[in-house]
Amino acid sequence: MKNNINTIAKLKLLISRLIVYTVLIFLSFLCLFFFYLMFINSSRSNAQLQAGFTMIPGGNALKNFINAWNDSSISIPVGMKNSFIVACLSAILTSYFSALTAYGTYVYNFRFKKLIHLFILAIMMIPSQVSAVGFIQLAFKYHLTNKLWMLIIPSIAAPSVYFYMRQYLEATLPLEMVEAARIDGSNEFKIFNQIVLPIMKPAIAVQMIFSFVGSWNNYFMPALLLNDAQKKTVPVMIATLRSADYSKFDMGKVYMLMVMAILPVMVIYMILSKSIIKGVTSGSVKG
Amino acid sequence: MAEVLLKNIKKIYSNTESKNRGRGLFRKKKAGEEEKKINLQITDEGVVAVQQFSLDIKDNEFIVLVGPSGCGKSTTLRMVAGLEEITSGELYIDGKLVNDVEPKDRDIAMVFQSYALYPHMTVYDNMAYSLKIKKVPKDEIDRKVREAAEILDITQYLDRKPKALSGGQRQRVAIGRAIVRNPKVLLMDEPLSNLDAKLRNQMRSELIKLRQRINTTFIYVTHDQIEAMTLGDRIVVMKDGYIQQIGTPQQVFDHPANLFVSGFIGTPQMNYFDARLTLKNGRYFVDIDDLSIELGEEKQQRLKDNEVKEQDIILGVRPEHLVISDKGIKGRVDVSELMGSSCHLHMTVKGKDVITIVPTEGKSTDYAGKELLLSFDGNVAHVFSKETQKNLEY
Repeated sequence: MKNNINTIAKLKLLISRLIVYTVLIFLSFLCLFFFYLMFINSSRSNAQLQAGFTMIPGGNALKNFINAWNDSSISIPVGMKNSFIVACLSAILTSYFSALTAYGTYVYNFRFKKLIHLFILAIMMIPSQVSAVGFIQLAFKYHLTNKLWMLIIPSIAAPSVYFYMRQYLEATLPLEMVEAARIDGSNEFKIFNQIVLPIMKPAIAVQMIFSFVGSWNNYFMPALLLNDAQKKTVPVMIATLRSADYSKFDMGKVYMLMVMAILPVMVIYMILSKSIIKGVTSGSVKG
Repeated sequence: MAEVLLKNIKKIYSNTESKNRGRGLFRKKKAGEEEKKINLQITDEGVVAVQQFSLDIKDNEFIVLVGPSGCGKSTTLRMVAGLEEITSGELYIDGKLVNDVEPKDRDIAMVFQSYALYPHMTVYDNMAYSLKIKKVPKDEIDRKVREAAEILDITQYLDRKPKALSGGQRQRVAIGRAIVRNPKVLLMDEPLSNLDAKLRNQMRSELIKLRQRINTTFIYVTHDQIEAMTLGDRIVVMKDGYIQQIGTPQQVFDHPANLFVSGFIGTPQMNYFDARLTLKNGRYFVDIDDLSIELGEEKQQRLKDNEVKEQDIILGVRPEHLVISDKGIKGRVDVSELMGSSCHLHMTVKGKDVITIVPTEGKSTDYAGKELLLSFDGNVAHVFSKETQKNLEY
């Protein structure tokens, strides 16, 4: 009798595990399959790609790479450099200033503080495409197109990053620590830079990687603002390759450029992954 | 060290401020924190947290502000620290008016209940932080930090981060961070509250030793009356933003100014009886049931000086001063708690709960259910006015 109960319990556990693993494998497949497909396609020639879909890598990876690198309509090093400048500066400035704003509304008491907080959050609800119209008009009117800083400056004001930082501060920063630093003789900026920022390191790492990826992959604004070949970022260059005329069109080249575009993001993600996991889970458990 | 003078200090949290405040009196309740019972005066201007607070703290004195949660003791300390604005009144440190002086320029140090150590810095860096800001030479910083670490016995932890320390060690670091600057005034806001009972006792005696080693003026906030009694040169008992009594621990214990002080200071709490104060041949007596006890000489003199008349009173007697006698107030023991060297008897006397402490003296006596007669000495009886609840000695 006891053995029977044990067998049934084991069977139930096995079935539940089977279901869980099936779902997890399916989700992992959904996430990874398209990456795999991209890597496979980047190693196939245009003719092979036209012929149909396959899971087996082709032998044209190097050729695709050389073709993409030597394409006269784009310059990959320039695109990479531009993307790096925009993504790095956006990530650093967004994280720093959002943390500073969050610190301001969390630590200080001033009139209309709640209103300001709500206003910032309300901006989150407005799609960037809506505000982009006015911004593009402004850029054209004052001849500010083809300038990388026009992509960097607006990204500094990021309500979602602010909201995340504020939540993180509420969970991790006791106000006594700020007061202790004040009594220790620190001024307000030093308190933020020397005491608060190091405490926020995991949150900043998370938001930096998200901002970096967001900026790196951003196509919408750069496509509207940048038309000088020397100023184009990688996503704009991919689009340029795709829209090449039919006689020159090489899908293998486009896939290779895509692979090259995601590699830096993957490297940065791998470097910061520990901090990201720490940042995402922090505050959930009392330390 | 420095003299600290508080003159008629008042603190009002304006209505908007009280809504916005995320700390202090109105801060959100944290896990494990007791509910704050707020019974403060609310005016058109806002909530009055502290009022009519006047106190002259001498050089090198150890002052303890004690009172229940929400009585304004921490607010007062924070005003001295410069972390709260003073609504009205004057605050002098070392003869200088500091109402509008920034905390960093007051030459004070503060130890917080939550330690407030910088988690990303080592113990050494935590202690050296204020000196680095002052741009003190490196070798002097090193000397001062090691000296303070030596006093607090934390030298071996200097390279560790706070998370690698126990509660008691963290508290020592917090104290070290404060004393390393050699401040004029050292403020402590319930520094032992987060420690367990054993560690608290140990740290209490460490604080007494520390006090003997460093020359500074201490202002210490606690809700624990044992800390107040053992640490303070003088203690300030507060309630609802008002000072109830200022005095040495002995004065406050022996001559509590009112019913609140008498109940707050002393464990277990003082027992109260309805009684009558009578005058017989120019001598004061307390009459309760058939018992008539002549008050002690000191009390006789104080009552005489105040020209106190015969009246109904609230009689207060501390549990350790009630003795089992052949003649006295009759009561029934409900519960008997053996505490080791003594026994706490929870009794019902004239419909009221009364506690008395009797020494066990090596005998095991079960008092539960017994009827006993209780008496007391005239020196330890406290007479409070029924109308004002004030001690009639004052």
